[in-house]
Amino acid sequence: MRWFRFAVLILLATVLQASFFADLNIKPDLLLILLVFFAVYCNTTEAIITSFTIGFAADLIGRTMGPQMISFGLFGTALAYLHNVIAIRKMTYQFFAIFVTALLAGLLVYFLNFIKGEPTPPNMYAPLFGIALYSALVGPFLFLPSAWWMRIKINRSGRR
Amino acid sequence: MLFTWFTLAGLIFLFSPKNLTNKFQFAFHRIFSLPLSIGRNISLSAGARRPLGDVVSRDEYKRLLNHLANVTQQRDAEHQNVEKLAQMRIIPGWERMGFVPADVITVSINELRSELILNRGEDDGLVKGQFVLADNSIIGTISDVDARTAKVRLFTDPKSSTVVRIGGSDWLMQGKGGSLARVEMIKSKVKIGTEIMASKRPGFLDTAVIIGKVARCERNAEPLLWDIEVEPVCNIQKAENVHIIVMNPPE
Repeated sequence: MRWFRFAVLILLATVLQASFFADLNIKPDLLLILLVFFAVYCNTTEAIITSFTIGFAADLIGRTMGPQMISFGLFGTALAYLHNVIAIRKMTYQFFAIFVTALLAGLLVYFLNFIKGEPTPPNMYAPLFGIALYSALVGPFLFLPSAWWMRIKINRSGRR
Repeated sequence: MLFTWFTLAGLIFLFSPKNLTNKFQFAFHRIFSLPLSIGRNISLSAGARRPLGDVVSRDEYKRLLNHLANVTQQRDAEHQNVEKLAQMRIIPGWERMGFVPADVITVSINELRSELILNRGEDDGLVKGQFVLADNSIIGTISDVDARTAKVRLFTDPKSSTVVRIGGSDWLMQGKGGSLARVEMIKSKVKIGTEIMASKRPGFLDTAVIIGKVARCERNAEPLLWDIEVEPVCNIQKAENVHIIVMNPPE
């Protein structure tokens, strides 16, 4: 794992998410896509570290600190373990992995925010579904440049 | 074991006081203010359209319209004051206000939250609760502040509630997420497009200032009551700089 390259990639994604994508009504969640990428293409220990780090980055540009770190860490780790059993290398599998992870992570974030006393918006399901769908559509295509930058060989068939 | 430690760290962040954890967010926005601004400018310029020849731009039109609404409101208020207290000298509300200009670092407007991060903080005289203006209209209040950065909670944020003046009485306007806020259980129907003014708040706002206009008016579940939806009168997403109202600034 090239940690310096990882740091640069996460910083770039965080800055883009908070600036370039902030004004868009319909937007993918770059950090969530990277979460799934590292959970699929790294070993379990690295996946745990990257998941929590990406969650921390998401919290930095989020409403409060903590919910996304826990949520991303939990589901990134779960995905990494799941990948040991079911290979998530095909684009269709990656689509579903991103979609389901985004939905579950988003719901947990709302729940943790609720525990913290943050208000839950009345119409939270529509944006949650939208972000999950757009992330799932864009995500598999972002895996290629991410893998190139991280010097990870992508094998779209079979387990690691 | 690694997972447990990271989860514990997350829980510590989650249950720590917000004023402590906010420091991380402010530090990030301060350190990366330049790339964040560049990213936002690219996003804005990508969506920008060429202005039409000698026609005033929509943003300029909205700014002037808001200014007109504020001046009209101020004139009416002053007129009432003159009638009531003809013998007393009254300082106009605007003259007691100071305006701290600030650049917008990031904007987050969606169904879940509506916030801005500004490049001004306590060092510039900002405190929690101060009103923030864009294009002569109120867009929100300072919700968190550190030495050089501040967070603005827009009036459309689900966590925001603002006292507004409708039909001569005060009502509580609740943010709804996205670009809308809601006032419930009003006693009479309000025309769409009616200007909504933020009420005076001692120490923060000495005169009513325009905050939005009525986008929708519909019947409440209770008979004879109405709910209205209010939208901002400026394009907050495109705001590059704003002004923070500081009451009674030092000379």
